Amino acid sequence: MSSSTTFIGAVEIGTSKTTVLVGEHSGRELTIIGRGECASRGVIKGSVVDYKAASDCTHAALEQAEREAGERIDLVFLAQTGAHLEGFYNEAAVNVKAADNMIDADDVRTVCDLARSKELPAGRMVVHNIRRPFRVDGRLVPAMPENLVGQRLEVGYWTVHGQEQRLADNIHVIRGFNLEVRELVLASLASGHMVTTPEERQHGVLAIDFGAGTTDFVLYRDGAAHTTGVVTVGGTHLTNDLSIGLRLTEQQAEKLKLRFGRASVVTKDKAEKVWLDGNFAIGDRQFSQQAIEQITAARTWELLEVVKKKLGNAFAPETCASGVVLTGGTAKLGGLAEAAARVFGVPAHLGEPPLWVSENLRDPGYHTALGLLYYGVSAQAEKSTGTRRRGGFLSGMKRLFANA
Amino acid sequence: MSQPLVQAPQARSWRDIPQPVKPRAMSREGRWRLWSSLARVLTIVVVVIGVAWGVGLVVAALQENPQNMPAAARTVPVKNFLLKTNAEGVLDAAWLRPALALPKGATLMELDLQQLRARLLADGQVSVVNITRSFPDTLEVRIVERAPVARLHAQFGNGDERTLLVARDGVVFAGTGFEAARLDELPWLAGVKLARTGGQFAPIAGMNFVADLVAHARLETDQLYAMWQVISLARLQSDREIEVRTKPGTVIVFGTDSDFALQLAKLDYQWEMIAKLPTPPSKINLALGREVPVTFDALPAPSAASASGPVAVPAKPASAPLFSLFPNSQPKTKREL
Repeated sequence: MSSSTTFIGAVEIGTSKTTVLVGEHSGRELTIIGRGECASRGVIKGSVVDYKAASDCTHAALEQAEREAGERIDLVFLAQTGAHLEGFYNEAAVNVKAADNMIDADDVRTVCDLARSKELPAGRMVVHNIRRPFRVDGRLVPAMPENLVGQRLEVGYWTVHGQEQRLADNIHVIRGFNLEVRELVLASLASGHMVTTPEERQHGVLAIDFGAGTTDFVLYRDGAAHTTGVVTVGGTHLTNDLSIGLRLTEQQAEKLKLRFGRASVVTKDKAEKVWLDGNFAIGDRQFSQQAIEQITAARTWELLEVVKKKLGNAFAPETCASGVVLTGGTAKLGGLAEAAARVFGVPAHLGEPPLWVSENLRDPGYHTALGLLYYGVSAQAEKSTGTRRRGGFLSGMKRLFANA
Repeated sequence: MSQPLVQAPQARSWRDIPQPVKPRAMSREGRWRLWSSLARVLTIVVVVIGVAWGVGLVVAALQENPQNMPAAARTVPVKNFLLKTNAEGVLDAAWLRPALALPKGATLMELDLQQLRARLLADGQVSVVNITRSFPDTLEVRIVERAPVARLHAQFGNGDERTLLVARDGVVFAGTGFEAARLDELPWLAGVKLARTGGQFAPIAGMNFVADLVAHARLETDQLYAMWQVISLARLQSDREIEVRTKPGTVIVFGTDSDFALQLAKLDYQWEMIAKLPTPPSKINLALGREVPVTFDALPAPSAASASGPVAVPAKPASAPLFSLFPNSQPKTKREL
């Protein structure tokens, strides 16, 4: 093991389960070497409500992952979701100050600082500042605009912020295992990064992560995240609806949902029945297939409508050429892609991770944890590149002369 | 120019949340990880310190080894001598140079430190020597000196007579650099025979008793000690007694098997009565336990004796104990005496 190798833990504390993946990052490549899972306790809709219970199950998953990896985790990338997360857009513009109108690093820094400078209400903290592409005199510039010529430089930031206490609770659960949280990543960004390609993000794509307690979404335009959001409705609500509608226990309803639930009604015959267990044992009951589909489809349809409503004007079929990509544990619900296509009016499909992801991690339930690793590593690499740039020899000389 | 034109306020980020949590908020696994990581850090620190210490030793060894020193260091002659002695030491640089007897123009690396050390230790006044090369041209000598306990008048076969000093460990030495007043305070030592071994005098046995006795006397009965003239070890081997002859001629016998402080206290008490007598006693024996016989060569005059009760008791023959310090004590058996 070289000294530059880092063992990164990607932790998703979800409503139904806590997932931990261990990645071995050697600077250039990332290899997944361990996995740990535990049924979640003390977490409701992505927020920790029972510190002890949440800690116990998270630490159990971390221990399992470390045991499987055979290495100790050095740092953690933690997924963040929940109703407390909100976002807003803020933009700024500056006039290029050089006489020859060539944009320099100071112009870029100034406009970025201005665009990020909006103050938050008390008790709120920034989770992400997602930069949208620069514009030079109205012209879209996907990369850094340094050394381009123009008079006006504009940029906008989509800022995701959350409640301080909720964020601290999640971090302290990890710290309780004596691990440092190096990156806090929005769950939608993590899973969206995993199931969409750079080309799709460039053309515009909406990634929706259907979890057990929450549904996270991210809309990409021009290669960058444009809008993110969280709806505190997920797979457990479908189970709950079935439980109430068919008078079942939660376990029975969950079983029916997984076997017969659909996001669109395809069964025409009301008399078509399905067995609860199918083993003809005492207590086994029959239910109308159409009734099950109607209950799950209604809630799914409603959920998709809520997402569309939350996106508002940001979403338009013409700016979302790559359609909708679905992921998350609940995305395995039959007919969900068709329902999403009808609601959003664009093609929809179930998200697939890249081909190099091994078979046992291709389940949609792992997309967020996988994305955490890759998104987190990319973010770290960007930061270190930025640091090296600022600390370069020429920059140092420039600062020396400027101070003189 | 390089600073941004606008200093925009930045909103608080999640990175501002303090991450450390108290151990009680940690799970058992978390606490175990915390202690194990602390232990790991501690181990690394200890290893680093150990390595640094090892490197220091290697460097020191290289400095000591002439083969590994640069040629320039070998060619610098010794110019300075730095002598450090203990707090009571009296030797100085004037003594050091001839004692070392360095050849002229010798360099630090040419010196045989073991040989120099042996030369200095040949003087009995020096008990410990540590010699260090301090580059480029200084020889640093640290010594511990012996303190004299008594002085000795020695007469040699060729008729020479010399005064020598004796230390607590029995080592006999000439004594260099001591002030005459300090030497005059020292008692003479008698009843010993000097023997030579390897060109030096053999240590005198029993000097530790003398040193203890003198130290107690100086500390507790300094007015009596001022009268001490000669300390004899003639009966040390046979009777385990030390005889002290005072300037008035009284011989005081101390036993080495009992506490000197107690014996001196008895002497001090008794001396108050004896001082009133016209004739000093010829012998006071403190080595017999509770009984302290005092012997006179001639009986004191009656007028003087009437002043003190115990002396007024019936006359005894000369050379017999006149009175006892504790007259009511039970008579001792022969074996106890």
